[in-house]
Amino acid sequence: MASILEVNSVSKRFGGVVALEEVTLSVPERGIVGLIGPNGSGKTTLFNVVTGFHVPDKGEVWFRNQGGMERIDGLNPNEVFAKGIVRTFQVPRLFKNLTVLENLLVTPWNQLGERPLAALRRGWEREERELARRAIELLRRFDLLPYANTRVSELSAAHIKLVETVRGLMTPARLYLLDEPAAGVEAGVAHRLFSLVRELREREGLTFFIVEHRIEILTRYVDYLYVLHNGKLLAEGKPEEVISDPRVVEAYIGGG
Amino acid sequence: MIDVVGFLVSWLTLLGIYSILALTLNFESGVSGVTNFGKVLFYGVGAYTAAALTVYLVLILNGFDVTKTPPYSVEGIVALGQLAGQNPALNLALFALSLVLAFLAAGLLGYLLSYPILRVGPAFVGFTLLSSGELMRIFLQHFEPVGASKGLMSIPGPFAWVPEPRARELAFLGVVLALLALTYVVLDRLVNSPLGRTLRAVREDEVAALCLGKHVPRLKATVLFIGSGFTGVAGALLAYYLTAVNPGMFVPAVTFNVWAMIILGGMGNLRGSLVGAALLTLFDRLLTFLTPQLGITVISPDYVRWFSVGLLIVALLLLRPQGLLPEEPVRTPALEELEVALRGGGSG
Repeated sequence: MASILEVNSVSKRFGGVVALEEVTLSVPERGIVGLIGPNGSGKTTLFNVVTGFHVPDKGEVWFRNQGGMERIDGLNPNEVFAKGIVRTFQVPRLFKNLTVLENLLVTPWNQLGERPLAALRRGWEREERELARRAIELLRRFDLLPYANTRVSELSAAHIKLVETVRGLMTPARLYLLDEPAAGVEAGVAHRLFSLVRELREREGLTFFIVEHRIEILTRYVDYLYVLHNGKLLAEGKPEEVISDPRVVEAYIGGG
Repeated sequence: MIDVVGFLVSWLTLLGIYSILALTLNFESGVSGVTNFGKVLFYGVGAYTAAALTVYLVLILNGFDVTKTPPYSVEGIVALGQLAGQNPALNLALFALSLVLAFLAAGLLGYLLSYPILRVGPAFVGFTLLSSGELMRIFLQHFEPVGASKGLMSIPGPFAWVPEPRARELAFLGVVLALLALTYVVLDRLVNSPLGRTLRAVREDEVAALCLGKHVPRLKATVLFIGSGFTGVAGALLAYYLTAVNPGMFVPAVTFNVWAMIILGGMGNLRGSLVGAALLTLFDRLLTFLTPQLGITVISPDYVRWFSVGLLIVALLLLRPQGLLPEEPVRTPALEELEVALRGGGSG
């Protein structure tokens, strides 16, 4: 299948530390692709390069637009978002003093009512109601509706994680980069989250690229898995093959 | 005998001007997270724009040669005093023009200053603006065309032609309250809109907002344009109310007095700013009235005032850190939709 994201021999170093070295990988359209690796292997750095937070020292990042592949490395984070890539963070970055509903509503890009003159004149209410209905529908699906008017700072860690992932669904993005969606949430919630990922792929044709430490959960949902180790690609393939690969086992357990 | 009406009129006029400052500061700092420690800069620019424009144009339009009789010279001040009440149409036209130009001058300065402050870290925004304000004050102190340290005096007010002083004061109070209402309506609409929600998001986490495609620099520039513009209008009103401006009026303490108002009233709540401004201006007036009666001669009554305001803020922050009126969720039609959904969920 055609790929939606291509990372071509990307390298990134911070001073003397090599965070990524010649990493090449691709994510197929409508795929659910996992990215694993021990701590410090460069997973988050790779996400930062794709979403415009870091400019790679070497290599290119390409993203499929309507027309064809388009180079996106070097763009600003807000420009990358506008192309159709949304990400969640390892440590959730929600707007703490906003309510859950407001966190969802603030997400869609380029709302009419965000322009100062339009905000003054009104006329944005219709769009606002549509967004609100969509947000309420999402909240209902995740049993979050009772918390709609709760400030995020008053939520439990698991709920915060959930809200952050659900928030991404408010956007027209086609590629979702999820940074450890299951970290710190109980197994039941994690499975529900990943089932939703599956469902969204089937129903909306979305693509997911997921960093996750809880491999036992991740491997049940992804169709392809990449392993990073010390900034280099160590292995790739079907999840069951990859996790039984002796090199991967050694990287995780051997600590070598 | 205490002149109650006189007290009320002067209190309400100052309250109106300070309320505009508190509202805009709350919009900038409480809602949008731009730590504006340089409020007085935009206030001063508005005041000086209005003052300089009025005194120069009144003299020029009446055939004076301002190179020979500048408005800050004794002859100029005397001439301004004589001309003040002669041409109502000119007074009103200059007043209207001054308000517009004060808005634009202060607003554009805010817009331009958003450029450097976005390039220093958020913690330094406040200090950059604070020092910009001081730079302006020191510049004005030495800038001869606006009277240097003496400032400008005898500024013809919009209602200087009204013979009865009480009617003049009331008319001016009416204008101040109308402009306060305009400021409130504009800011209230902006705060309770998708824009207001996005501004709060930027305040909470700039990086996350950037990730959601929000154009953070443009948003901050917009906030500083609007906030500083209305601050400039407040400055113009002050200049006309006092009929004089001088650099000593624009010390950093003015900024922090407004900060005290929004902390007291509640950060992020516009009605709170009105409450904070009302309480502090009243407190201020009463203390000005009372401190001489207390017979404290060891320290200046001014210090008693500042000390009491400081004490009030410390007490408030300990007892009610969110202020008297805490921030409320953004009011948009989304709340109605939610209510419908919650009610539907309850019955079904």
